[in-house]
Amino acid sequence: MVDESGSAFDAVEQGPKASGDPTGTPRDSDGDPSGHPTVTALQSWFGSTVLHHEVQAGDQHVVFVDAARNREVLKWLRDDPEQRYDLLADVTAVDYGGGKPIQIVYQLWSVGHKRALRVKCELPLDGLTIDSVVQLWSTANWLEREVYDLFGVEFTGHPDLRRILMPQNYAEGHPLRKDFPLRGRFSRAEQTRRALSQDYHDDYTPESLEVGGAPGLAPPEPNRSTETAEDKP
Amino acid sequence: MTEKILEFPEPAIRSEPMLLNLGPQHPATHGVLRLICELDGETVLKVTPDIGFLHSSFEKLGEYRTWNQIVPLTDRMDYLAPLIYNCVYVMAVEKLMGLEVTERCKVARVLCMEMDRIFSHLLWLGTTAIDVGAFTPFLYAFQERERIYDLHEAYTGARITTSATRVGGMMADFPDGWTDSLRDFVKTLPKTLDEIESLLTTNGIHLGRTLDIGVISGEDAINCGFTGPNLRASGVDYDLRKDNPYYDYETYDFDVPIGENGDCYDRYLVRMEEMRQSLRILDQALDRLPDGPINVADPRVSLPSKTDCMNDMESMIHHFKLITEGILVPAGDCYFAVEGSKGELGMYVVSDGGEKPVRWRIRPPSFVNLSVIAKLAEGHLVSDLIMINASLDIVLGEIDR
Amino acid sequence: MGLTDGESGDHLSLAEVDALGQAEAREGGLLGFGSPTFLTTKVDFVVNWARRNSLWPMPFGTACCAIEMMASAASNFDLARFGMERMAFSPRQADVLICAGRVPYKLAPVLRRIWDQMMQPKWCVSMGACASSGGVFDVYSMVQGIDTIIPVDVYIPGCPPRPEGLIYGLMMIQEKIRGESLSDHYGLRAEDPALVGRPRAGTEEVEALAGPFGNSTQQERLSSLAQTTRPERSEDLLP
Repeated sequence: MVDESGSAFDAVEQGPKASGDPTGTPRDSDGDPSGHPTVTALQSWFGSTVLHHEVQAGDQHVVFVDAARNREVLKWLRDDPEQRYDLLADVTAVDYGGGKPIQIVYQLWSVGHKRALRVKCELPLDGLTIDSVVQLWSTANWLEREVYDLFGVEFTGHPDLRRILMPQNYAEGHPLRKDFPLRGRFSRAEQTRRALSQDYHDDYTPESLEVGGAPGLAPPEPNRSTETAEDKP
Repeated sequence: MTEKILEFPEPAIRSEPMLLNLGPQHPATHGVLRLICELDGETVLKVTPDIGFLHSSFEKLGEYRTWNQIVPLTDRMDYLAPLIYNCVYVMAVEKLMGLEVTERCKVARVLCMEMDRIFSHLLWLGTTAIDVGAFTPFLYAFQERERIYDLHEAYTGARITTSATRVGGMMADFPDGWTDSLRDFVKTLPKTLDEIESLLTTNGIHLGRTLDIGVISGEDAINCGFTGPNLRASGVDYDLRKDNPYYDYETYDFDVPIGENGDCYDRYLVRMEEMRQSLRILDQALDRLPDGPINVADPRVSLPSKTDCMNDMESMIHHFKLITEGILVPAGDCYFAVEGSKGELGMYVVSDGGEKPVRWRIRPPSFVNLSVIAKLAEGHLVSDLIMINASLDIVLGEIDR
Repeated sequence: MGLTDGESGDHLSLAEVDALGQAEAREGGLLGFGSPTFLTTKVDFVVNWARRNSLWPMPFGTACCAIEMMASAASNFDLARFGMERMAFSPRQADVLICAGRVPYKLAPVLRRIWDQMMQPKWCVSMGACASSGGVFDVYSMVQGIDTIIPVDVYIPGCPPRPEGLIYGLMMIQEKIRGESLSDHYGLRAEDPALVGRPRAGTEEVEALAGPFGNSTQQERLSSLAQTTRPERSEDLLP
């Protein structure tokens, strides 16, 4: 709350709330579930799987769900006629840093009911595995690949979980993690060296190479030697 | 005489599918996109897009920049419609802060977003026409884009990388005569659109290249995450300006074109009509642009005036803190989506109360739209693949971020 | 292995290139004449005039600068008046590589390969801040200036540079061509034909390119593969 009677300087001072929550996620007080029909329905259907509910940014309802049952909950959200969240707008992850769990965030939208919902699942840093929802929404295919690429979260049941934005032989880790430095882990020289010495096999998946007539090649590995085809006899 | 049906023996040649690599450097991929195609002759069996050739780690960079410093980064993602990105980012942050901008700012941002929607569609039109083989619409479209470039430049100083918004308002108010130039543009663009339409819409070659190419049904489209003109061409009436309105879009009088077949031709028609509807919105917005301040006078974000700074110490300190520390955004997260030129453009900002975001996520419409190309192009010819790629209206800057 | 070390392996140092040029000149130069003569300068004049007025650009456009490049090619700024309207998308048919936009490490081998596939004589324009030095993007994925991978002739600053800026850069290329001489062009751009045009750079070449360099925004450092002489002009000639 901005103190109107004080000076502008005080208002700036009073502005934000600090996040001192040890579990990592800045939690507002539990929101009023009756503001969003889905939340009440979710809580009655799934009971304790729905860990927490809050309202962010004024009117955005966020539901925290047990990561082990995410597919079940999302399937219900997609299929139940009262909910019908048929558009998966986004799948992303948030790393708060400092050892806090990584949150997987699903943005859902119902085209018919014109409602939005945010579903979050928390994963501990030593257990970054969660079920994939590609069977529910094809949208999740590339979105989950990106989360894997940039955060290192494994999605079980994903048909094609490999890097999407970084090169296949990228060996520096998962860039959007908080412990990953902005300029990468290798020196610029090493990054240039690795970039320029990519084996052309890295460019193609084994299936594509089968088609192209060069079957039986192993999938790309990170620490490839820098020999090229012409160096071989 | 009996008719002898000529029979040819089965060819002894064994045919195999062929692997063709398109890109990443290729004129028709609209950016550094790599398409790995498995072909049976000319027919596409399977196409796998390979992206990441423009990955500039905007999201990581955003974590090292203060809230207002991120605005110039947003231009460089979708460089075809930079003002839309500028606007949606600050709209997300303002929603998280619970900050209401001034009426003038709202209408100004509507002007900017609709102008850039036309800007983006014009480029799409020019480059798609080139892919079909028509060079003239490219020149016409770019000539019109030059006028929007001039408007950008007169307002922000830059042609493409506008960085026009700030949290709480805009970088500056419109210069004198700017709205008149925009009105002039709104009046004269329909003539050029008519000329281009006369070249393309009933053109046999264009029809042959786009009718029944890359068809996707409405339910498939939603399940695959299509949004924007691509989705509307498949018959689904989903436009964020109508369904989840912001900035009084529900008070503007405009229509949303919906297609029927979900093919490339429908996507073309939907975008052409969208340009005309954007002109309608621009007209109305120009009429209702109110006077008043463009920046909200909220002490959390707004700098005090120079006169105040020079006269009292508190304003000076306020100014100093806002400049050196940056604005502070309360803890929480916010997902804000607008109807961008390519689809649902969403920004997800997560704050822990500091002056830099914890996480800045862009939900890029082209990223999700492109993932569907494998489904759309199966069974079509290679030239159809190019056409489908063009009709999706992708921009690699936002796909790779 | 770096720019300053002139005695490295099979790379020609500046002194050696100079010596080559003079040796060539002594032996008879390109046309069998000795040092530049009246005839060779006339031939140079005609050849350079033809080259600079019919440059076919290879647009390696990646990001926002590519849009400004397209705008330069469009009616308002019109590259056609310089003879450059025919954008050669095949590197084999191109003269000038205009690298317009940011180049991440994933794209670096592609750029190198395109450059290698271009045939002599060729020039390179680095358009924009990102191509010249990495621009705003001093991040894990971005090449900090394409001159770490390919030799660049003209750098055009801007983010993005205006079409007039691109045209000014292209006119500087034209100026550079005007000042060239047939007898030393190939000396300047000595490329081992065995090393170009193959799928990936060889190990030694990669080592050379990846030689440790300090400040990643150092602009004077050209790729140590091609020892191009630094343009020795007392003034920046205006076209």
